[in-house]
Amino acid sequence: MNEKIQRKIFQYFQKNKIENFVGVPDSTLKYFIDEGLQNKKILIANKEEEAIGIGAGMILAGSPTVMFMQNAGFANSISTITSLIQLYEIPMIFLIGWRGYLKNDAPEHEKIGRIQPELLKNLELENKILTDKTWEKGCKWALSKMKKNIPVALIIRREFLD
Amino acid sequence: MIRKDAVEIICKKIENDIIVSANGFISRDVFSSLEKNTNFYMIGSMGLASSIGLGIALKKPKNRIFVFDGDGNILMNLGSLVTIGTLKPKNLVHIIFDNKMHESTGGQPTQAKKINISEIARSTNYTIFSVKTKQSLEKILNKIQTVKGPILVHVLVEKSKNKSSRVNLNPEIIASRFMNALKN
Repeated sequence: MNEKIQRKIFQYFQKNKIENFVGVPDSTLKYFIDEGLQNKKILIANKEEEAIGIGAGMILAGSPTVMFMQNAGFANSISTITSLIQLYEIPMIFLIGWRGYLKNDAPEHEKIGRIQPELLKNLELENKILTDKTWEKGCKWALSKMKKNIPVALIIRREFLD
Repeated sequence: MIRKDAVEIICKKIENDIIVSANGFISRDVFSSLEKNTNFYMIGSMGLASSIGLGIALKKPKNRIFVFDGDGNILMNLGSLVTIGTLKPKNLVHIIFDNKMHESTGGQPTQAKKINISEIARSTNYTIFSVKTKQSLEKILNKIQTVKGPILVHVLVEKSKNKSSRVNLNPEIIASRFMNALKN
């Protein structure tokens, strides 16, 4: 996804009353994160589970929050998602960069990237892929789920190699 | 001093402040000592009570937030001390009940036996208080009312034979009533 759209996604969330963006950096999402840093709305935690804990606290305090992370870090957090976010029905939006989407991505991303769709399915975490064309629709959908106390994931595919 | 006695002493002192309690026996003790809408009983996600407490503290600067944590819990999420020490929430009181074991799972040892959790927290900008007796705990609880956070009250406790009953509330109810109570 190109730089302009990533910055637009951040602005869209901010305009729609998302007050905090908490997570762990990911290169696929770097322009989104940069836009957030420029707006002083980003909190970077040491690990994804920790980030989810902080985000959960903010949401419990009434302050809407979006999480950002790589799919590897998302996978680190499975038990936190089931035993905190889903168990307590905390309306959290996950924005996840999908490494290993391309089959020739770096070897450490290959397996976790391959099982990513199945992982989301087994977690029963509703999700949508954001593209340059569909991002606004996807973000709107996530915000509507948030209002119904349903946690969801939005996925951005890494479509380049470096 | 056993953990339940320490929890009761603290609960008596803090009354209406927000509590986030770690999973296992700690949440059970809070539930039986001071059940109220502004308690968030974290029954799963071990390690994250202090992170949840931090998120609340940042968004509710006028409220005091008490995290009831354990040695096993904080050792699972030491990075949380770093984040809390970086953001320095003045309204966060982090209580760690340290029995140097995973009492909820049968008393297996934690590594708190070999290291001092207070010293780790000291190097991450916490103001530290360490207590071993009921008298000193009561004294410290009075003292911290005028101290800016982040504060760590490191409560050294012994293993106990009694255990409190389970938190028998539906997690959705715990979360929704907590959110409603914080709105006011």
